[in-house]
Amino acid sequence: MVFSSITFLFFFLPAFLILYYLVPGRAKNVVLLVFSLIFYAWGEPKYIFLMMFSSMVDYLDGLALNALHAHPKMRKLPLAAALIINLGLLAYFKYADFAVGIWNSLTPWDRELPGVALPIGISFYTFQTVSYSIDVYKERIKPEKNYFDYLTYVCMFPQLIAGPIVRFSTVQQELKDRKVCESGFVKGFRRFLTGLFRKVLIADQCGALWEGIRTAGNISAVTAWLGILAFTLQLYFDFSAYSDMAIGLGEMLGFHFPENFLYPLSATSITDFWRKWHISLSSWFRDYVYIPLGGNRAGTLKHLRNMFAVWFLTGLWHGASWNFVLWGLYHGVLLTLEKYVWGKGLKKLPKLLQHLYAIVIVVVGFGIFTFDDLGELALYFPKLICAAGNPFLGPELIWHAGNYLPFLLAAFILSFPVYPAFKEKLGKADVHRRNLAEILGVLATVALFVLALSSMVRDSYSPFLYFRF
Amino acid sequence: MEKISITQRISVYLICGMILVFSAAFFISPKREFSEEENRKLKGMPEFSKTALFDGSFAGGLKDYVTDQFPGRDNLLSYISAAERISGRKEINGVYLPGGTIMMNSYEEPVNVEKDITQFSKLAENTDADVYLCLVPSAVNIYRDLLPAYAPEDGKRQQEIIDVIYEGVSPRIKKVDASRALRQARYNDQALDDMYAADAPHYSVYYRTDHHWKVYGAYAAYMEFCETAGLTPYAQDLYSWNKVSDSFRGTIYSKLNDSYFGSDEITSVSCEYWDLTVDYGDGNVTDSPYNPDYLEKRDSYSYFLDNQHSFIEVTNNAMEGGEIAVVKDSYANCFIPFLFNHYRKVYIFDTRYYKGGPSKFINEHKGIEDVLILYNMGTLDNDTGIGGIY
Repeated sequence: MVFSSITFLFFFLPAFLILYYLVPGRAKNVVLLVFSLIFYAWGEPKYIFLMMFSSMVDYLDGLALNALHAHPKMRKLPLAAALIINLGLLAYFKYADFAVGIWNSLTPWDRELPGVALPIGISFYTFQTVSYSIDVYKERIKPEKNYFDYLTYVCMFPQLIAGPIVRFSTVQQELKDRKVCESGFVKGFRRFLTGLFRKVLIADQCGALWEGIRTAGNISAVTAWLGILAFTLQLYFDFSAYSDMAIGLGEMLGFHFPENFLYPLSATSITDFWRKWHISLSSWFRDYVYIPLGGNRAGTLKHLRNMFAVWFLTGLWHGASWNFVLWGLYHGVLLTLEKYVWGKGLKKLPKLLQHLYAIVIVVVGFGIFTFDDLGELALYFPKLICAAGNPFLGPELIWHAGNYLPFLLAAFILSFPVYPAFKEKLGKADVHRRNLAEILGVLATVALFVLALSSMVRDSYSPFLYFRF
Repeated sequence: MEKISITQRISVYLICGMILVFSAAFFISPKREFSEEENRKLKGMPEFSKTALFDGSFAGGLKDYVTDQFPGRDNLLSYISAAERISGRKEINGVYLPGGTIMMNSYEEPVNVEKDITQFSKLAENTDADVYLCLVPSAVNIYRDLLPAYAPEDGKRQQEIIDVIYEGVSPRIKKVDASRALRQARYNDQALDDMYAADAPHYSVYYRTDHHWKVYGAYAAYMEFCETAGLTPYAQDLYSWNKVSDSFRGTIYSKLNDSYFGSDEITSVSCEYWDLTVDYGDGNVTDSPYNPDYLEKRDSYSYFLDNQHSFIEVTNNAMEGGEIAVVKDSYANCFIPFLFNHYRKVYIFDTRYYKGGPSKFINEHKGIEDVLILYNMGTLDNDTGIGGIY
C-alpha cells in the first residue's frame, strides 16, 4: 500500500488509528503488528512469510548470542549464521538475475535468468535485522525476548517499505513503553501532511517534467540539464516525503524515528551532502562496514580500500544494475578527492560557488542514477555537453520549463531550509501578523489537501521511487 | 519541545474531519457503473478468490474500485487540472491548451502505418466495387497554427502519414483529400464559421471539447468525396441545419473536467428529400439517423447514428437506386447522412464489432457500386477494427 493513496488515507489509516487509540497500553503493539502485516500483504502477500522468517532468524540469533554471553568464541557462530541467511536472502532475491546476467556476458555457458521478483522493502528490513544481530553481538543492546515485539519492530508499517532504516536501539524503549498523546498525534499528522503535499504536489510534477524531457527526441544542452535537475528534485521530494510521512506516522503512534534528510540539495560539498541525504543509510554503512573495516585510521591505502568497498556497496544497495554501482563509486571518488585534494580549498571559495559545485555534482550523479539502461545513459549524457550534435540552447526549453515553472520554483525554494527560517522570523513578528499568518496557514493547509486529494484521484497510482530498492 | 498552536490543531482536525466524512460517504453513497463525466465504465468491487488475493490482483482491484467510486470524484478531478491550467501549463493529459478555451488532442507517432496500408489495400483487392479512401486529419493538423508556441509537435505529422498511406495503398483505391477540403472550409466560409461557433471563432470544423469533427467539417469532406467520385453534391441550403444541443462536453473536456472550458454546440442536418428506414440490425428500426436520447447524456456525439453498431443498413425510400458500403470509425457517423441523397442503400460497417469481413458481404451484394473507407487520423493507429477490415 502506498501512503499517498486513497485506500491508505481514507480507509486503512482511520481504521488503524481509531483502533490503536482505543486499545490499552500493551495491546497497541498487537494492533500495530496486525495492521502492519495487512499493510505489507496488500502488495506482496507471498513474501510476508519471507519477512517473518528473516526476522525469526535474527530474533533467535539474539537469544543465542545472549545465552552464549560467557563463551565469546562460540558467539561468532550464530552471528555468522544470521548474517549469511539474511544477506543470502537479500542477494538471492535482489541480485540473482543481475549475477546470472554478468555470468552470461562473461562466459560462454549461458544460463537462464532465474526471474526473481524483488520483495518490497527487503533492502530496508534486511539492513534493520542485520544491524540488530551485530548490535546484540557487540553487546550494544540487549536482545528482545518477545518475538512479537521484535516482529513489530521489523514490520512496523510506517517505515517498513522505504525507511528510514530505524535501528533497534532507537525504538527498543518505545516498543515497551511509549507516550501516546494528542499533541503527538497533531504534530505527527502535520508532518505526515507535509510529506503528502511534497510527494503529490511537487515530486510527481517534477517527475512529469523529467518524463517529458527524457522522451523528447531532440533537446538542447540546457534542456538536458533541466531534465536531470528535474529528476533530482523528483527523487529528493519523493524520497524525503516518504521519510516525512514515516516519521509523522511514527510520531502519531508515539515513536521517534531519526531524521533522514536535512535539506541535502543545499549542501556545500559532497561530504556535506552525505551528512544530509538518506542519513539512516549512510550512517548504517559507516557503522557496519566502514568503521569495522578500519575507517580512515589504518593508513591511506586501507582507507582507499574502505572507501571503495563502502561506495561500491552503497551503489549496489540501490539496485541490481551497473548504473547504481557507477553512481556509488562516483560519489566515493569525489569524497576521496575532497578529503585528500580540494576539500580545504573548497571551503575558502565563496559560499555560492560551494553550493554550485555540490549541486552540479549531485545532479550529474542522479543523471547516472536514473538510467538503469547504460545504453540510454550513453545517449543522454552527450546531450549535456552538446556532443550529440544538439545545440546549446533551443526553443523547446521554453516549452518544458514554461509548463512547470511555478512547480519548479516551489521545488527549488523548498530544497532550502526556508520554512524553518520563515517560522523563526514570524516568531519575532507582532501579534497581528502572527495571527494573520496562522489563519492563512489553516486555509493553505486545507487548500493543499484538496489539491493533493484531487491529484491522487486523478493519477490514482503513483508509487514511490524508492520502492524499487 | 515546540508548542502546537491552536490554528495548527484546527487545520489537523479539519482535515481529519474531511477524511472521516469522505470515507463515511464512500460507504453510504450509491456506486456508479459508468461515469458520464469521464465517459468510461467505472470499476466495481473486485471478486474475491484465493488466487486473486495471493497474486495481488484483489488488492489492486480494490484500489481501483475505491478510486473510481470515491465520493465527489467528478468535482475532485477538476481541481488539480484547474490549478495546472492557472499555473500556465500548455499541455495537460495529452491535451494542448493554447490559450482561451481552445483545446486539442496531441498526436502520437503512429506505429501501425504499414498494417493500415496492407489492410486498406486488401479490402480493395477483395472487391470489384470502386473503393474510396478518406482519411480525416484531426484538429491538431487543421488548426496547427493555433498550437501553443514551442509545442513538441508542429501539427504536420498527420498530413505526412496520410500522404504515406495514400501513396502506399493499392492503385485500385481512389483517395479523397479531406485535409484540403477541411482547410478550405475553415478559411473560406468565414460566415458559416462565425455562425456555428460564436464561442470560438475559427473553430467550426471540429468540436473544441471533443475529438470529433462537426457536421460542417463532414460536409466539406462530403463535397470533396463527390468531386473524387464524380457525383454532383447537394448545396448547403438544400439541408436544414438545426442546432440540437449547446451543452456538449466531449472526450477532450473529460480529460481535464475543468468547467472553465465550457461546452460545444451540436448542429445536425436534415433534408426534405429523405424518406429513411434505418435498420440497426438488432431489431431496432427507425426513420432517423439520429438518436436524440444521447443529447441528454454526456456522450452527446452518439446522437449521430446511435453510437456504436457493428452493422447498419439505411434505405432512402425516396431514391431509385445506388448502393454504397461504408467501412468506418465514428467520424463517419455525422458524414453518412450526406450520402442518403446519392444512394438508395447505405451499408455501414464498424469492423471493431462486425465479424466476418465486409468484403464477403460486398461481394454477395452485387448492387454495391462504391465502397468508402473513412477513418480519422487521431484514433486510426489504435483502431482495433483495422485487423478485420476486409
